[in-house]
Amino acid sequence: MPPSIHPVDLVATLRQRNLTPAIIFLTSRRACDEAMQSFERSQVTLPKAQQEQIARVLSQVTEQFPSIAEHPLIETVQRIGVAAHHAGHLPSWKIAVEELMRTGSLDAVFATTTLAAGVDFPARTVVVTQSSIRKARDFTDLTASEIQQLAGRAGRRGKDLVGFAVITPSPYIDLTVLTKGLTGQPEAIHSQFVISYPMVLNLLKAHPREQIQSILAKSFAQFQLNQRTAVLETKLDGLRAEMEPFGPRVCSDWITQWQVFEQARKRKKPRSPFARQESPDVAARLHFLTPGRVVGLTRGRGIILRQYRSKGQHAPMVTLLREGGSLNECPASIVTQVFDRTFDCEETSAYPWCTPQTLDQLTHQLTDLPPRLPVLPILTHQHEEVPIDSSIIQTLGDFACPTCPSRQACQRDFPRASRVRQEIQRHIKSIQALQTSLWHRFQERIDVLERFGYLNANAQLTADGEWARLIRIDHSLLITELIRAEAFGAIDPPLLAAIMASIAHDDDRPGSFPRGSTGLVTLLFQVRKLAESLAPHEAPPMLRADVAALTERWVADQTLTWIGLARLTTMAEGDMFRLFARTIEFLSQLKTLKSTHPSLAESADHAIAAMRRGVLEELP
Amino acid sequence: MTTHELEELLMRQPVSLLHRLARGRISRHFRSGKRKLVDLLLQASAENRPGLESDLQTLIDQHIQPPKPAPVEKTRPVPSPPREAVRATSRPHRTEEHGHHEPPVSLHEWLSGIGVPPPQPFVPDAWQVDALAKLAETDVVVSVPTGSGKTYVAIEATARAMRENRTVIYTSPLKALSNTKFTEFSRVFGPGQVGILTGDRREHAQAPLLIMTTEILRNLLYDAAGGEIDVRLDTLGLVIMDESQYLADPERGVVWEETLIFCPSQARLLLLSASIGNPQDIADWLTAIRPTPCSLIRHTKRSVPLRAGYLHPNEKLTPLFRTAGIPYGQPHLLHPEAKRLFMEYEEETGPSRSR
Ligand SMILES: Nc1ncnc2c1ncn2[C@@H]1O[C@H](COP(=O)(O)OP(=O)(O)OP(=O)(O)O)[C@@H](O)[C@H]1O
Ligand SMILES: [Mg+2]
Repeated sequence: MPPSIHPVDLVATLRQRNLTPAIIFLTSRRACDEAMQSFERSQVTLPKAQQEQIARVLSQVTEQFPSIAEHPLIETVQRIGVAAHHAGHLPSWKIAVEELMRTGSLDAVFATTTLAAGVDFPARTVVVTQSSIRKARDFTDLTASEIQQLAGRAGRRGKDLVGFAVITPSPYIDLTVLTKGLTGQPEAIHSQFVISYPMVLNLLKAHPREQIQSILAKSFAQFQLNQRTAVLETKLDGLRAEMEPFGPRVCSDWITQWQVFEQARKRKKPRSPFARQESPDVAARLHFLTPGRVVGLTRGRGIILRQYRSKGQHAPMVTLLREGGSLNECPASIVTQVFDRTFDCEETSAYPWCTPQTLDQLTHQLTDLPPRLPVLPILTHQHEEVPIDSSIIQTLGDFACPTCPSRQACQRDFPRASRVRQEIQRHIKSIQALQTSLWHRFQERIDVLERFGYLNANAQLTADGEWARLIRIDHSLLITELIRAEAFGAIDPPLLAAIMASIAHDDDRPGSFPRGSTGLVTLLFQVRKLAESLAPHEAPPMLRADVAALTERWVADQTLTWIGLARLTTMAEGDMFRLFARTIEFLSQLKTLKSTHPSLAESADHAIAAMRRGVLEELP
Repeated sequence: MTTHELEELLMRQPVSLLHRLARGRISRHFRSGKRKLVDLLLQASAENRPGLESDLQTLIDQHIQPPKPAPVEKTRPVPSPPREAVRATSRPHRTEEHGHHEPPVSLHEWLSGIGVPPPQPFVPDAWQVDALAKLAETDVVVSVPTGSGKTYVAIEATARAMRENRTVIYTSPLKALSNTKFTEFSRVFGPGQVGILTGDRREHAQAPLLIMTTEILRNLLYDAAGGEIDVRLDTLGLVIMDESQYLADPERGVVWEETLIFCPSQARLLLLSASIGNPQDIADWLTAIRPTPCSLIRHTKRSVPLRAGYLHPNEKLTPLFRTAGIPYGQPHLLHPEAKRLFMEYEEETGPSRSR
């Protein structure tokens, strides 16, 4: 049996069952293109009337977007009534395919799942051939929301009485993921609030520092943190109630008293070497190392599954799920950072300390985590535990405990009381951290901006801050630092566009292009050095030389046509278009610096004008 | 179990089971064929043999014996945190229990009723009317399935704001979608009435309806806060954010938050979103931070009923579930024919793919 149904047979079956028009989701652009090729070789031809309809729609769209006329697939599409639609295509071609679909002129479209979001593109039937998608270089299972977005394109209102979602297996399909997704609830969404440098500058431009905290409090992030706080507070109330019977006794703080007494008594007995006291850092973090917590390690990140004490030394230990999926038991000191992120973790009492489903889910969540996570600010108290003053423990005779009337009650209640008290402290700390984490992160950004001179010591914008706040794109720190380092002094438009392109482009699909000019190579080298030096404060962009050279050429050589350019690179047209569109967006931010950096703004303006020709002129 | 026995046991399993087992143990396991996968699993077992063996056993048990139909509440997947799972939701449940004793739907029944509905005069749905009525008084979050007709609400709300001489901003996450809507809205309201702002291009920037990406609106709001008024924000009556489930986008979600936090208080907000798990949270949040309360319009019923099928590589088509419609909350109600064919598929394709 073939590992999956042949595209031509698939479409034939759908046609025969009256299940067209259909959108067929395939795993990759290449799979879509190959499916199209298999049709080119096939004998299928549409009835004349349908061919004519396709031609009519295409010629209408071509009026608006002339570049479509040159598309190599037009003939095939017209003959067989099937098309491909993916990010490798030019937007104008995608619009043409969408229009063909809307007018019901096509029988099937092969598409990648990027189509799922936000394109108005319905059909009678949706065919799903995969249960996972490529995200951040690895495959992850589709979520219920994603599956429902895909399947939801089936059944057009007003054109269909029913819609069909058809699953056809391909290698690596997991049917349960799909059936669960189809029948399940869409996932709850979570805030992805991050505090960027431009956000800080723009907020501080409009509001004094004192007001920032109340502005951050309006974020959905804080709303969701508050929901978590509320859960913790309910638990805290419960714990406080549990603590009630353990109020003051003969001594007001009998728990501490008993603890010190116990420790002193144990110390007297030589057989119990007192557990090594951990460093204050580790001790402060321990409260947060609860199952499900995401932590930073000396190398990589992990999720805590359990916290325990080692048998011999009573050292604090954790069981960790690490990136790559291994489970390790290690000393708690391995944790270097506690992130403000916890996942649900259904604990069990034996290895691996959580249910297999949880482990499965955590593994995926760990791989899906964004590269940067907010760090929980943890207040280190130099002396967590009351240190035992040696003078107290000279003799046990100094303690009232042995003869105290409350002694029996204290002895009986101590384990529970001290556990509850610890829990209470842990909850209070977590609540504090939830309430202050956004502000803390904001403060960290302020510190960096002050160090670089965009803010003064009172967190007010300096002259540099005033213009830097207008750069509101990714890698803003690198761009503003380049400007300040006068890297763009009297820069030519092609060179400027090339550098901006290499900063803007964040796709790792391989591409190749002839070398750029010597000027570009030297400048790119300097940009790389600067980006690396900024790495602690801002993740460096890819700074690919090939996209820089491609852009330089497009801007410098005005006689070069789009097709001529496409021949020089292995990049897909859609990717080239996106690269240029994003570059133009970056350049137009530089254009806003007219009053402070006139020559740079002018160069950016020229670069934009030079870039916008051919297909780049077609769309607003 | 000896290593040899373990290897044999692994080799007997379908590839999909091996992939499940490999999760968390082997990175990029999707790239490997069966033989390679078994080798990698054996290597990985050195690290924690008992864990691997017990997981394997669990997976084998599940595979042989699919879980019994349990009450809906229990079998519903709970990918979201417990809070959301606990909160009652309005998913329309199957009206009757489909136990295994009821005969599965036939292919003929499943395929019946395909076709084009007779043309009908346009009558807005109750939820559409409701959304528009609520929008007169409050901000509104709409969370309904794909293809339900959110655009109608956007258009009617825009028309109303325009009649009151207020400007409208419509944002979408994607430039492509902005372009589509620009064309669509120009057709509805007339070309001069609609403008579009992108990275650096502005067409009809003074039109009463402006289409832009969310980033552009965020920048406008920052400029306004910094004292540089760009577009007429004082007459702004309505901000429509389409596809607002993007709030949860790892890279761009923050832009939606910034925009909503700084959205002028005199403007009404209309958030249009696909089905999400916690739309009430969004409405509650907006109620908390804005002067006007925010209503939630939510339903999960698809306007065109959906059926799921399974197509075997040999071109045999069968219903995927025992029921014609989707058995919400009961993923295990697979059609026996689909189940049989899929198991056959796994058995046949598994080993042959390994070399
Ligand atoms: N009340 C109605 N009666 C009949 N058809 C309707 C009604 N409302 C909308 N439609 C039609 O439903 C189709 C889908 O509408 P629309 O594109 O607005 O959906 P949507 O909710 O925005 O979907 P998406 O999630 O894909 O963005 C359109 O063709 C529209 O004309
Ligand atoms: Mg829509």
